[in-house]
Amino acid sequence: MKKTRVGALVAIAAGSALVLAGCSGGSSASGGDDAVTVDMWAGSADDTAALKAQLDIAKKQNPDLKIDMRTSPWNDFFTKLTTNMASGNMACVTGMNSGMLSSYTAAFQPLTADDLATAGLSEDDFAPGTLEILKNKGTLYALPFDVSTMVTYYNVDMLKAAGADTPKVGWTFDDFERIAKQATTGGKYGFAVGMGDFQWQALPIAKSGTQPATQDGKLQLTDPDFEQAATWYAQLVTDKKVAAPVASASDTGWGENQYTSENAAMAVDGTWNAVGYLTNDAGFTAGLAPLPTGANGNTSLILGSGFGIAKSCKNKDAALKVLGSLLSKDSQDYIASSGRSYPARAESQPLYFDSIDAKYRDQVKKVFDAAFEDTQGQYVTDDWSKVGTYIQPQLVSVYNGQASMTDVLSKAQQQFGE
Amino acid sequence: MTAIPATRKRGSLARAEGRQALGFASPALVGLALFTIVPVVLSIVMSFFDWPTFGERTFNGGANYARLFANGEFAEALRNTLVFTILYVPVSIVLSLLLALGLGPRIRGRGALRVLYFIPVVTPMVANVLVWKMLLQPQGLFNGLAQTWFGIQLPNFLADPAWAMIMVVVMSVWQGLGYNMLIFSAALEQLPESVIEAARIDGARGLRMTWSIVVPMISPSIFFATIMTMITSLQVFVQPQLLTGGGPGTATQPLVMWIYNQGFKFQDLGLAAAGAWILFALIIIVTGVQFAAQKKWVHYEH
Repeated sequence: MKKTRVGALVAIAAGSALVLAGCSGGSSASGGDDAVTVDMWAGSADDTAALKAQLDIAKKQNPDLKIDMRTSPWNDFFTKLTTNMASGNMACVTGMNSGMLSSYTAAFQPLTADDLATAGLSEDDFAPGTLEILKNKGTLYALPFDVSTMVTYYNVDMLKAAGADTPKVGWTFDDFERIAKQATTGGKYGFAVGMGDFQWQALPIAKSGTQPATQDGKLQLTDPDFEQAATWYAQLVTDKKVAAPVASASDTGWGENQYTSENAAMAVDGTWNAVGYLTNDAGFTAGLAPLPTGANGNTSLILGSGFGIAKSCKNKDAALKVLGSLLSKDSQDYIASSGRSYPARAESQPLYFDSIDAKYRDQVKKVFDAAFEDTQGQYVTDDWSKVGTYIQPQLVSVYNGQASMTDVLSKAQQQFGE
Repeated sequence: MTAIPATRKRGSLARAEGRQALGFASPALVGLALFTIVPVVLSIVMSFFDWPTFGERTFNGGANYARLFANGEFAEALRNTLVFTILYVPVSIVLSLLLALGLGPRIRGRGALRVLYFIPVVTPMVANVLVWKMLLQPQGLFNGLAQTWFGIQLPNFLADPAWAMIMVVVMSVWQGLGYNMLIFSAALEQLPESVIEAARIDGARGLRMTWSIVVPMISPSIFFATIMTMITSLQVFVQPQLLTGGGPGTATQPLVMWIYNQGFKFQDLGLAAAGAWILFALIIIVTGVQFAAQKKWVHYEH
């Protein structure tokens, strides 16, 4: 009797040991007090390398901490973040973007002046207005490492070949329409419409001077001014035919891809891509201009990304120190001088222009100065990402003339307006 | 140890062996519990809760299920999944069966041809979709050829609600053809020579031979392929996600994409779990009906 019981015990022990050995690879929880994980999106080897360089700065400044990073491409990043939040696996220092913050405020610790001090930072380090970027209803959730706004990029070679004018600082919506029409020739288009929230909404917001949400977070897609401007935008494809209809709802970067593959002469995108567009792989001469000006000015959103501290983070002080290093002068100088993005730290901003090819430097500086002049923090509703997810596939029908912009906007307003 | 008469009758050896067997089975049982039973039970629980990714979870009875059916988008996703399945399964089974029959012993180099047809199955779906997008978009190959040869402007296939689903089906059929073909080919190779010979002596030839002898003989394989294809097509996700993004509008959004959106984009895990259980029930019912119907047409005796 005793013998068999021992046999059973041995079998159970052997069995569970096997299982545990099999599992142990999967559950690598974050280590002790000195370990800090940084989670950030990175879409290419370049992105990852740049992030590593910033991490190295953080490691050098905090030799006593064990810092590691994980990355995923932009789209997956937010899906994974959701899963990590649910499973309590969120990295202590996690990247966040102004457009996405409203859905994730529950996961981040609000940052106080004391927290900034622990991180070795002060509010004055940041360029005026940039701390607004990652605030939601007045609470600061993350500190920005870059600022950006939307601008128009154009293909100089295509415009010249078509005998079209070139967009300039201070150009108007009439200029925009004229140039788009002139450049639509020989199977190529003057403009490419956007599918991403920022990309498609930029021109309607500039033209109407109205955002699709109010400052206190109410959805107003059916605001007459915004709706009219959005309808005008869709008509660039359906009526004026200066832009190609989108091929599929899965082409989320349609406008940008049409522009880089030289199918369209102009497109709207963020300043975060300025260097990539100017030194493009296709080899065409590119230029940029602020958004065109209409009767209501040329309101552009001030956007940006940064790092916040997870609510679930157990070693907050260590995480704050890493956060401080990632936004330190060294780190910000690095992203500025490598031309990756326009830093949020005021003293590092001039370095960005030095990194730009001399051919483009003056133009970029002039356009940035003009584009950042009339910016507004982005207003979003609590379920802003739902609104975007709903509208995006509908836009395809709008651009292909099978649905009207008014219909799509009013349906979205009905569904998400409460 | 409490000893009740019934167990004493089985003898202590049997009991000891039972315990030992349980011990040796424990790795598998722990694995099954950890990775199958717990998630399944948890998802049932979730489906009865308002379960956001982060924050308060509250029991809400059957409210998630009520919301499913009050929500037009769910009904539309369900319809899209059914339409996809009804179009995809018969076309895929019939074509791959014809292909397997066509690549009979008399075709030279049929091994190489089989490999060719199997390539799309092993190629990553992303690459498959990229190629199809390049064919189908307005600046793509098909429209380019149609315009230069016939001067016809083809529809914008992936953005036209009337065409998008058809193209998702066409692409899926192309992609999945090789797998079913391989199953049928294997069954055809195993056909007992004696039965074929007997049929031939009785005068069966050509179509008659195929329809009355060969197809009934490989009906277990056809049954297996139909069940598996049906299940995978009810779970379809990647093809529409990558090819059409579920659009235009929600014209090609299948059930699984709807569940994914609710759970991972909108952070409403309770509603997503409820949707997943509807899908599970659907698959069980459809598979059950097929098993019940197999008596009528599947022949297991050789």
